[in-house]
Amino acid sequence: MKVSFHWLKEFIHIPDDIEKIAQILTEIGHEVEAVERYEDDVVLEINITPNRPDCLSVFGIARELSAYYGVPIKFPEYNFTPDVIDLNFNVSIFDPDLCNRYAGRIVKNVKISTSPEWMRQRLEKSGIRSINNVVDVTNYVLLELGHPLHAFDLNSLKGNMIRVGTPKTILGRAGKIKTKTLDGVERQVSDDALLIWDSEEPIAIAGVMGGLNTEVTENTKDIFIESAHFNPISIRRTSKNLGLKTESSYRFERGCDIKLLKKALDRCAFLIKNIAGGQIFGKIDIYPKIFQPTEINLRYEKVNTVLGLNLSKEDIDIYLKNLSFEVESDDERVKVRPPSYRNDIKREIDIIEEIARLYGYDKIPTNMPFASIGIDDQVSRQLSLQNSFRERIRNTLLNYGFNETINFSFMSHQDLDLLKIPQEDPRRKTVNILNPLRVEDSCMRTTLIPSLLKNVIFNVSHGNRDLRFFEISRIFLNENSSKEQVKDRLPVEIVNVGVINYKEKVKTLYKEESHDFYLMKGVVEALLNACKIKDCVFVRTTEPFLHPGQSADIYISNSKIGFLGVLLPTIINDCGIKTQKPSISLFELDLGKLFKYHTVDIRYRPFSKYPYIERDTAIVVDSNLEAITFQNLIKQYPTDLIEEISLFDIYQGANIPPNKKSVAFRIRYRALDRTLKDEEVDTLHSQLVSFILEKTKGQIRM
Amino acid sequence: MLEEIKEKFSKDIASITSLSDLNDLRVKYLGKKGIITSYLKSLSTVTPEERPVLGKVLNETKLYIERAILAKENSIKEFELSNKIKTEYIDITVPGKFVAPGTEHPLNKILNEVVDIFVKMGFNVEEGPEVELDYFNFEALNIPKDHPARDMQDTFYITDEIVLRTHTSPVQIRGMIKRKPPVRFIAPGKVYRCDADISHTPMFHQVEGLMIDENISFSNLKGILISFIHMMFGEGVPVRFRPSFFPFTEPSAEVDMGCILCKGIGCRVCKQSGWLEILGAGMVHPVVLENVGYDTERYNGFAFGMGIERIAMLKYQIDDIRLFFENDIRFLRQF
Repeated sequence: MKVSFHWLKEFIHIPDDIEKIAQILTEIGHEVEAVERYEDDVVLEINITPNRPDCLSVFGIARELSAYYGVPIKFPEYNFTPDVIDLNFNVSIFDPDLCNRYAGRIVKNVKISTSPEWMRQRLEKSGIRSINNVVDVTNYVLLELGHPLHAFDLNSLKGNMIRVGTPKTILGRAGKIKTKTLDGVERQVSDDALLIWDSEEPIAIAGVMGGLNTEVTENTKDIFIESAHFNPISIRRTSKNLGLKTESSYRFERGCDIKLLKKALDRCAFLIKNIAGGQIFGKIDIYPKIFQPTEINLRYEKVNTVLGLNLSKEDIDIYLKNLSFEVESDDERVKVRPPSYRNDIKREIDIIEEIARLYGYDKIPTNMPFASIGIDDQVSRQLSLQNSFRERIRNTLLNYGFNETINFSFMSHQDLDLLKIPQEDPRRKTVNILNPLRVEDSCMRTTLIPSLLKNVIFNVSHGNRDLRFFEISRIFLNENSSKEQVKDRLPVEIVNVGVINYKEKVKTLYKEESHDFYLMKGVVEALLNACKIKDCVFVRTTEPFLHPGQSADIYISNSKIGFLGVLLPTIINDCGIKTQKPSISLFELDLGKLFKYHTVDIRYRPFSKYPYIERDTAIVVDSNLEAITFQNLIKQYPTDLIEEISLFDIYQGANIPPNKKSVAFRIRYRALDRTLKDEEVDTLHSQLVSFILEKTKGQIRM
Repeated sequence: MLEEIKEKFSKDIASITSLSDLNDLRVKYLGKKGIITSYLKSLSTVTPEERPVLGKVLNETKLYIERAILAKENSIKEFELSNKIKTEYIDITVPGKFVAPGTEHPLNKILNEVVDIFVKMGFNVEEGPEVELDYFNFEALNIPKDHPARDMQDTFYITDEIVLRTHTSPVQIRGMIKRKPPVRFIAPGKVYRCDADISHTPMFHQVEGLMIDENISFSNLKGILISFIHMMFGEGVPVRFRPSFFPFTEPSAEVDMGCILCKGIGCRVCKQSGWLEILGAGMVHPVVLENVGYDTERYNGFAFGMGIERIAMLKYQIDDIRLFFENDIRFLRQF
């Protein structure tokens, strides 16, 4: 909100300069965001928090300064004697819950013209466009006192009456109704929105905007000025539903001063008569339920314990009086009645804040709390284990040369289309956003792959090469059986790790090391190793976006924890990556499951002090025999002398029959309790080899 | 005569340059039919008186030859090795086979720094769902439906009752419900607001903090937060507390620190004010404590929250928030 320094000084004597005032206002909670300097004035741009509608005016700010300095404040001039007492006009409130008070005055024979220069300037400095003298006065009083007013053209108002009510109450039926507002827009108003009516039709949307049919124009002679108090929630709903926010709705939805509205009305009539002439008529004031201030008990001691201060009873009483709170105190406590404009003061703590504000937050001493140590509980303990587990995964990937990324949690079904993910896949059951910023961000991620793929595309398009990325983030799965989202059932949030590796053909000094699949599998194995997970199975995957021959699903104890593989070249092409022989390999793992299976109980196992003996053998087997079958066979063999099995060559080609391959392996033998003899190992090894040959129908490679 | 043999041997060995020639020489003198060996065999033919004298000289000669051969062998080996090494020289100015180490994302780096400071002060780490019930995100935090404070945060809706959390504050509620007081935790995480421009992204990171105990005062809130700022940004950074408004704290405060770029003189980053907004904080509103069933007469406490992007932007002097989420490798590699 913009406040002219000159205007401010009309209400209060200010002993300090503008810089000091800006600092004081900020210190008491009204942050001055900018100071605009004009030739003859300075305007403060103040950020008023939503709890303080009473400060949305020049007078309101003056009132705050008055509380700070403890000096009196002067109300602007508003007294006059009505020219005509007799009134032939009726106001009735049909929805007293939505309109607590409605006052008005008639001014006849006004001369509509432009406003005086000084008024136009003040309005413009505050960001309000000048329209004509009558409308300008209503806006001027709004800025000055913070109370929204509206002027109707009395002669276009039918039936000499005003009715305040919703379409439902006034018309007695439900359904939307149409009305044209001052800005020329025809608006659909819901049947529970509060409207102002004449004897026939709506003439304003209460507290939001006046109607075009009763607008004050250059032809207007007589006016009716409205000064009312509307229910904040109702105004807010109407304003939100219409998407129409005005200076008036902004103040009404935060709460206006029910007592001030009469003075604001008179101030407005007073100024109109001064500026536009005319005769002021008697007043209408429908005020069914008189405002009763809240009564709050404040304990002096509580002030000091909450703030960490040592204020005396007298100090506190002074602050309260400066704030114009009515007080009745005894030794221990004080009964406080806040003024009608402070609808934010509801309980003891609110008053304590007021005292802290005026005392100055910066003057409150700084002390570390005395708190018990070891408030660690099981809930926290569990969480901290999970966090350190994730950190271990993260560090392993960092050590392997992957760069950590963070992406928005959003995606769209198009991303899943690109990956050819079928409609019945659980990843299609997305959590959808009702009001996304872009269609590309219309639902929550169910997989991290699309984001990582976009990271690669982005980087490649910027000429970056050799990319290794990972992200550890949540995915969101809608586990409802039906497609509809249940109103208040939250989705399942799972922490996943997604890893991607992009390579293209580059001329390099050094030879390419290994197949992308094995490279990424090595990373997966490193992660499993970091979690001390041993029993993990890789089986060919059905993921539709992966190369069927170079990909795997990863299982632990029959539960799928993720997938791994090389992205289909057609998808790389669909991504628009047009570099030389690009290849993308990736994996995604469910860290929740990994955490579940990771080993916490580490037990020491003794290892042998005796020497080992190694034997190498190469055998020729069917080319489709998988390494895992081979390794499992060796593991099955009944001996406890095998310490390690390693495959060191898999070969197909010259000297090997078609559909066959040569597998070379090395077995390391060692006993826990003695030195093995060569002959013993020779026998064992040849028995083992025969066993393998028998099971695989293989032959020794000569 | 043995002197002649010695002389002859010295000549022979001097001309030898390879291990195989040396071996031949060894055979020639010390082999089964070698010169020394045959002399030793002929010892039986001399008189018993001469035998010890001759034997001694012969053995000395043999030892001399053996030593000389061993010394020669070592010198040839050394020579050959140094020759081999000479042929193995490579260009050490060719770039190495470089595997770039992975880098932490700057936001997680800062997040972890913040978490670390609070953990050292005895705070636990708590989490909560990112897709959250309206109740936890707003109502339990004293932000009823139709309250103007809802305008402070543009919300993504999933249904009427489910939102993407707009702040980490709902974790306060969930964390308190799970525990009995006293509680002390921080809650780092992602939050979402329906907003995108140069200084706003629809997703960003916050760290929330909460401390509830007996006799916690505003003065303690200041103590903890000033310590945090000093640990994060350096001892002696000025800190300012000013009143503000959050529905779930009362009194509420905005915490500013002296601009770390211009040292408070005024610059573009601090909009010439010399101050940077860094934290929101306050004493937990009694309504919030009542909502989780805590006894407000016995317990009270404070809560605070901060934006990680802002801290990272200040610390690393990053001027565009969108850089964090583009994940350009040239950006990521700098951290």
